[in-house]
Amino acid sequence: MDDRVSIRQLFGAWFKIGCMSFGGGAVTQYLIQETFIYKHHWIGEEDYSRFIAMSQIAPGINIFATTILIGKRLGGASGIFVSLMGLVLPSAVITVGMTAIYVSLSSLSRVQAALRYAFAAVFGLSLVTNWRNVAPILARNRSQGSATLAASIAVMIGTALVYALLSPAVVILYVAGSLSSALFYRRAAKKSASEHIK
Amino acid sequence: MNWFLFFWTVFKAVLFSTGGFGPLPSLHADFIARGWATERQFTEALAIGQITPGPNGLWVTSLCYLVAGVPCAALSCIAMLLPPLLILVVEFCYLKIAGRAETQGALDGIVLVIVGFNTFLLAKLFLGLGIDLQLAMIAVASTALALTRKVPAILILFVAAALGYFLG
Repeated sequence: MDDRVSIRQLFGAWFKIGCMSFGGGAVTQYLIQETFIYKHHWIGEEDYSRFIAMSQIAPGINIFATTILIGKRLGGASGIFVSLMGLVLPSAVITVGMTAIYVSLSSLSRVQAALRYAFAAVFGLSLVTNWRNVAPILARNRSQGSATLAASIAVMIGTALVYALLSPAVVILYVAGSLSSALFYRRAAKKSASEHIK
Repeated sequence: MNWFLFFWTVFKAVLFSTGGFGPLPSLHADFIARGWATERQFTEALAIGQITPGPNGLWVTSLCYLVAGVPCAALSCIAMLLPPLLILVVEFCYLKIAGRAETQGALDGIVLVIVGFNTFLLAKLFLGLGIDLQLAMIAVASTALALTRKVPAILILFVAAALGYFLG
């Protein structure tokens, strides 16, 4: 638990994200980064990067898993509860409300055009979110040498290429990416250890 | 509708999947087979899930509202919140092996895969909109504004949607 954050503050932060994150998961992630890493400094970039990686292994919706990890870090069991409630209550209520409105307006061409343009903005925000997720890893790998950095970039670009060409199950991409990266880190750690001995 | 069966159907779909769109195949098979939802309701719910607040997975809430109103939507939220709690088990296991280079490598590898995969999928969806100069400019401007961290995301989205409404 983190003494810097009260349960009330935690609930307020998640409630705000739940109300403001129009644009789906990408914008939600963007606002989580903005709130917890850059604005309040309650968690670090490295912690967040580890949280989202672990969240991919857990079943269900990844952002809920990340929410649970952040809630636990900052407020223990009650932190988990208020974080989930703060995120889900407003976003689910707004989702239901917007579904009702959308059903009645979906045939209007102007509404469809507004959705297209909003998605273009979501795309831009997603690029920034992805960059923020990967930047700490690339920075750390660059300090370990150009080979490690090149391997990380190869995993990233390779994933996109393999999916574009072969469309395998996503879990196969996760396994291949994490295994190849684990092997490369192990090799780099051994090399570093042997250089220290010399 | 049998509420317990409905809850179990959503819970099972979320438990045995990962990511916001992961429950789609299972839900589609079960909801269509039982006559609870139509193909059109799935399409509408998926579109709404892209723009509403919160995780993309809330498209399930949208679908359940379309199927049987607010009680169904509320039940779907509970069914979606329970499986991710297993992250606590994942974290417990991770802490046992956190200091090893391979563990850090495996987790970094997953993030790299997500970024590569997400960027590709989003680009594909974006290009599928029938891209023109105006849309490209909106995407570039949104990226630039987000990088400055001086403009709230909701304002970027609102201005983009308003431009679409009046110019599109």
